[in-house]
Amino acid sequence: MADTKEKSESNEKPKPRIRPIVRLGIFLIAHSFLVSVVCCTAGVLALFLLPVLAKNTYISENALMPGSASPMLANQHVLEGNRLVNDLTSSNLKSSETGIESQRIIARYMLDLGAEASIHKFHRQLNHFHPLHFFSSPDSGIIEENYSCSSYGINTVGIIRAPRGDGKEAIVLVTPYNALKSGLGEALSIGIAYSVFSLLSQVTWLAKDIIWLVADSRYGEYAAVSAWLRDYQTPKFSSLSTLDAEMCPDIDNLYDLKVNSITGSKFSSSFKRAGTMAAALVLKVRNKSDQFEDTISIYAEASNGQMPNLDLINVVNYLAVHRQGLHVKVEKLWSLLNSSWLKILGEIFESLGKVAKSLNPKWKFGITATEYVEGTATLASSLYYQALGLPTGPHGAFRDYQIDAITLEILPKFSSDKVRHSDILLRGGRLIEGVIRSVNNLLEKFHQSFFLYLLTSPSKFVSVGVYMIAFALLIAPLPIVAASLYVDASSLGNCSKSDKSTPSASLDTDEHSITIGSWMWLNSAKLVFLVHLWGAIVSLIPYVICQIPDCTPTTSFMIWVLLSMLSFLTLYSVLASPLSCAKASQEKEWALVKSVTISSVFIGLGLMSVINFATAEIGALLMVPMCLLARPLKLDVRAGTLRSFSRMIGNLVLGLIAFPPAAFFLLKGMLDGFGSVNVGAFWIWVESLWAWNSATYLFIGMVHLPCWVLCIHILLHTC
Amino acid sequence: MEKLKKKTPSFSFWIWVIASIIFRLILIYFPKNLNLSSRPEVSTPLTSFRRLAEGYWLKQSSMSPYAGSMYHGSPLLLSLLGPLTVKRIEGQPDHLLYSLVSVIADVFSAMLIRATGQNLRLAYLFSLESLDLVKQIEVSEILSSGDIAALIYLWNPFTIVACVGLSTSPVENMAVILCLYGACSRLIPLAAFGWVIATHLSLYPAILIIPVIFLLGCGPDAPPRKLFLQRHQQEEVLNQSKLPLGFSWRPIIHFAFWALLWSVYVLVLCGISLKQFGGIWEMFKSTYGFILTVEDLSPNIGVLWYFFAEVFDFFRNFFLIVFHVNIIFMILPLAIRLCHRPCFLAFVYIAIFSMLKSYPSVGDSALYLGLLGWFVNELADMQFSFFLFCGYFGVSLLSPVMHNLWIWRGTGNANFYFATAMVYACLQIILVVEGVSAMLNHDRKLRNLTTGKPRDAKS
Repeated sequence: MADTKEKSESNEKPKPRIRPIVRLGIFLIAHSFLVSVVCCTAGVLALFLLPVLAKNTYISENALMPGSASPMLANQHVLEGNRLVNDLTSSNLKSSETGIESQRIIARYMLDLGAEASIHKFHRQLNHFHPLHFFSSPDSGIIEENYSCSSYGINTVGIIRAPRGDGKEAIVLVTPYNALKSGLGEALSIGIAYSVFSLLSQVTWLAKDIIWLVADSRYGEYAAVSAWLRDYQTPKFSSLSTLDAEMCPDIDNLYDLKVNSITGSKFSSSFKRAGTMAAALVLKVRNKSDQFEDTISIYAEASNGQMPNLDLINVVNYLAVHRQGLHVKVEKLWSLLNSSWLKILGEIFESLGKVAKSLNPKWKFGITATEYVEGTATLASSLYYQALGLPTGPHGAFRDYQIDAITLEILPKFSSDKVRHSDILLRGGRLIEGVIRSVNNLLEKFHQSFFLYLLTSPSKFVSVGVYMIAFALLIAPLPIVAASLYVDASSLGNCSKSDKSTPSASLDTDEHSITIGSWMWLNSAKLVFLVHLWGAIVSLIPYVICQIPDCTPTTSFMIWVLLSMLSFLTLYSVLASPLSCAKASQEKEWALVKSVTISSVFIGLGLMSVINFATAEIGALLMVPMCLLARPLKLDVRAGTLRSFSRMIGNLVLGLIAFPPAAFFLLKGMLDGFGSVNVGAFWIWVESLWAWNSATYLFIGMVHLPCWVLCIHILLHTC
Repeated sequence: MEKLKKKTPSFSFWIWVIASIIFRLILIYFPKNLNLSSRPEVSTPLTSFRRLAEGYWLKQSSMSPYAGSMYHGSPLLLSLLGPLTVKRIEGQPDHLLYSLVSVIADVFSAMLIRATGQNLRLAYLFSLESLDLVKQIEVSEILSSGDIAALIYLWNPFTIVACVGLSTSPVENMAVILCLYGACSRLIPLAAFGWVIATHLSLYPAILIIPVIFLLGCGPDAPPRKLFLQRHQQEEVLNQSKLPLGFSWRPIIHFAFWALLWSVYVLVLCGISLKQFGGIWEMFKSTYGFILTVEDLSPNIGVLWYFFAEVFDFFRNFFLIVFHVNIIFMILPLAIRLCHRPCFLAFVYIAIFSMLKSYPSVGDSALYLGLLGWFVNELADMQFSFFLFCGYFGVSLLSPVMHNLWIWRGTGNANFYFATAMVYACLQIILVVEGVSAMLNHDRKLRNLTTGKPRDAKS
């Protein structure tokens, strides 16, 4: 970037030959306005083209061989599953105080199959905001707290040891279950898992251990799974767990199981492990649904926009659609489905595709308008959930340990008779069996297919190589404009300097006097650095606010805003003002500031696109126009032409929209209607971001907000 | 950032020094959260704190510290820093004493850099005066390069990270700077000591003997000697005092003598400390041998690990030679071209070997970036400064992210991380190339000013 800019400087002096790449750079810089308009438009257009460019998924790993064996799950297993469902639903009525009873039933059923059963108890871990956690490894900062006996949950874990395996690998099946208020749906999900489990305890082909985790979801599904995973992955050498058990009498009841159960059982109160996990499936059944056919929805987004390997989704999709005849869907942004402008866009693309097909029948990128609208809605929700950086289900906990996991939610056709139950058990069970059998075939961990992709439908995806083009086009103008501004500013600075010293031989003396010409940007860099420092402080302030007890979200937000402004003023008065005064007189200072700002935004967006693409894309859509357009209002007012006036309006509007809270309220208002918007909502949203250690929070605090402040600084610049 | 403090009086210089110490101390109190000592950017097999502790432990249990290919440093470091790895103070962070040593080493290096920079500035002023250029170049515009260089060194994030990350590079850097300081202020025993220790600790500073010889032989950086001769021929003023000294062999013989003395001394000390464990030969094998044969292929910010992980075994020796000769090839041409500016030559050498060495870390970059501050006056017109700054900034943020993507998330692979290492190497190359060309341009400008002045006849 600067490559080109400095070479263009030397271009002005007579030089015999310019290298083609330099000439290209000079050309780009000279036409930076045109280039940026073209690139930005192309970037936005490419984003809307993504559903058209989506490819069909395919199973990349040969070893998976989904559906090659016929399902072995028979009616007898379903009957056993049904029995467990009945027991659970009736025990629910019997003792619903602690939920120990249902865990006991499940454990006994596991033991009856000859599996190893154990219980895992965990304490509810409150989500605290630890600012330094972003930079450290996942388990370094777990703080031991004093827990009371009242806030623990109990997971039941069953393990089948593979007859053909060496115990080094495992497949995990998770069924969230809340014993305190379980509905039929949760019981059904346990029934499905149990029927599969009972089958797997007999089969001979198993090469990986099967772990069935009944996660106690009274404190949330995610908390239970992540607590179990944490204990699974980080062995504890202290005897803390036994101590706790003695302290809490309730749990002792569960240990009675040892006595109750049949002889030769493998029940143990200690933590049981199998091998490393190859994959994990979280199974849920939603009780009330208004579907017209049996449907499975797949949730895949883990923290920070990480996705499981695409092969896992492919296998589930393939088996569900082609073997079990289930309807598969992924999350959509429903509000987009009815938008008329998308339909028009879809029709345009459809007709374009037809034209292309008539020109050359081999070009098959045309999709129908309805397909396009649905694809866009799915893509938008895919982007949205990835950008939030929050996991969409308990499967998110697995991704933190590099385990591919998805949540399958079965939505049965609406009916309430018993036959339907066994049908669901059979089909769901066969699906799970097929997936486990496929994963069982794996020789290595998932690595063949994509990790970085966006889904536009369960069987269509946009890979990283395609969606990065849209992003790259969007941010490509940034370095070019930065370079052109830099060249302008530094050449102007040089000229003014030489004018002052000797007007006669300006160019000559310029060469002959010793200047700090090429280091002029340092002052602007200092300003940008300070604003980013302020951004870091602003993102750390909530840590302090969290300590204040009994704060409503609205007051917390107000305190946050106040403290941020206070810190800004302090920083400004202590560090910025006395030093920046010296150089404030410099003409075109704003251009240098803008150039450095744009460079920092470029670095920030580039960095974020690696960490979480969706955040970077949405951030780029907001920030790139704002950065590129920013120009002192004073200059525009002075110019007084229509063009400058429209630019001024554009600047003001963008400056308003791109302010992070404003953008949030606008987006929320557009999605949910403006009635529900209040100030506290932003605080709650931000709280959820840092509680889940989402990098989006850091992005907003340390890239987006400073960029906005700097753009406002440029707008209000007194030049 | 701190390059901004260009015209600061010395009063605020000390404030910034103290602030940097306080900043380090604050960071030292968060060792667990930052986890810097396990970052591949900070701790290489040669500079890692953990390996030092392991070596010390092995030695304490009367085994060879080099057993098990864990420790690859000097036995002297074991005796000096080793005890600090196990000493703990109640209620304080684990390695407080060791970190304090690093902080002291950093501050001491900064002070040496400052003193050397002041020396260089005086030499620069003197040479301008003897070329009668003082009127054209206002003295007030000549920045005190020593202060700037010291502050750049102290506030460079790389230095801070290397210091807080408990690597041994602050000590190694201190030895290198000690050598240059001694040579600049003509303290021959000190220069020899610094050179011997620096070579002993990390081998590569051995090539600094060339700039040191130039420094001792002809004095610190000045415009080319022939410029002075021309000028004095023109004016026919035979003022010998204004002429720089010619090359004198006396200090060099002194230096050789002292270097010999110190190296014998160091080797004897090493021999004593390794008497039961195979002696000095064992030390050479597992320090210099380890450096030269690139045995450890764990990822770092250099480019060699990836290459040697990929290369077939029977080509290995050939490429080892190629890579090491790479450094040696550049020594002679640079020495010829830059012989009138020995300190700058040292900077270029350091930058080159910290790019091509087998286990580079950010501590090495910290050293040459700090030394860059010495030449603010000469490099004022350096091209690509903004680009380089952005590049360094971007790469140093991107590299940990790529490492995370590869190692922790599993969605990336080694190529992701290696890509940043390559970009980093390219940035260093650009820095060296642009630095050298800016320095040569500066010399050219001085020549034009001296010879072209009568032609211009402005006055």
